[in-house]
Amino acid sequence: MEANRPDEGRYRLGNLPNPAPLAAAYVPMQDSTEPSYATNEALSRGTLFPGLDLPFMNIVNPDLDETPMTEMMAIDFVVDELELYLDTHAGDREAFAMYQTMLAMQKEARERYVSMCGPIQQKDQLGMDRYVWLNGPWPWEFSKNREG
Amino acid sequence: MFVYEKKLQFPVKIAKPNPKLAKVIISQVGGPDGELGASMRYLNQRYSMPYPELKGLLTDIGTEELGHMEMVAAIIHQLTRKMSTEEILRSGLDTYFVDHTAGVYPTAASGFPWSAASMQVKGDVLADLNEDLAAEQKARVTYDNILRLSDDPDVNNVIRFLREREIVHYQRFGEGLRLAMEKMDQRNLYAVNPSFDR
Repeated sequence: MEANRPDEGRYRLGNLPNPAPLAAAYVPMQDSTEPSYATNEALSRGTLFPGLDLPFMNIVNPDLDETPMTEMMAIDFVVDELELYLDTHAGDREAFAMYQTMLAMQKEARERYVSMCGPIQQKDQLGMDRYVWLNGPWPWEFSKNREG
Repeated sequence: MFVYEKKLQFPVKIAKPNPKLAKVIISQVGGPDGELGASMRYLNQRYSMPYPELKGLLTDIGTEELGHMEMVAAIIHQLTRKMSTEEILRSGLDTYFVDHTAGVYPTAASGFPWSAASMQVKGDVLADLNEDLAAEQKARVTYDNILRLSDDPDVNNVIRFLREREIVHYQRFGEGLRLAMEKMDQRNLYAVNPSFDR
């Protein structure tokens, strides 16, 4: 069975216990964070992991326009996705190393965004000369010019 | 403690208002399988979870669902901007408009307001995680159905993102269930409720 499986499909497979008890639902454990998408593609697809990418009618999103906002969103998204993975794979050293790399990128991307476009959290106003939190547009508002 | 971030998880930028579409998408704000219910389900179930992986998972997925509620609300807000009374009548949004104008109110598309009766906190690790798996599937189907009804690419890109998150959450809840079962009595998983019997 194993030998007949095409290699390119293997990342869609996880492991199950053998034998498994009756009267219990089992989802296979994802074995690894590899392969994974680049950050921008992860955001447009809605997952970091090609193995979990199962689109309705096989229609996928186009790439997002690259702006300071989408660049930050993509990095934030990969951080969030890795956190959920680590919640069920706390001992995965490779995933934790990737998480560390992404956290460092996130810190840099956020500082860059805040200096260009304004605060994401209230505390980002540290050192600013006036209260700019109320400046629009707010995230839910439609704006042609808005970053993002 | 929660801290607001002045950004969405995924961009929502709907060029063309469409009240008819808002009338169905509102269900993912306040319907039985919507994002408000999802966040309330997970953030309230976590208190009785006996294992650290599940406390973490329910906190983190519940928090992400709050962000999804904001994204769906942003879709509704943008689809209902600058409506004329004629558009309101023609689209069928009139029955919503009379009570809520162009505000965002958590309700099912059928008009039934959000209800905690659409979710459970059973206080039992197996029952709660099995509910969570089902909830992710039901939300996924609602997004499938929205994709069947909508031909607006600006809307559909966001809906496809949200739908894919349901699949990832399903996988994580399945893994969480598996980690929980590994810590329980292997000869009889139902011998006790580890959320209550310590």
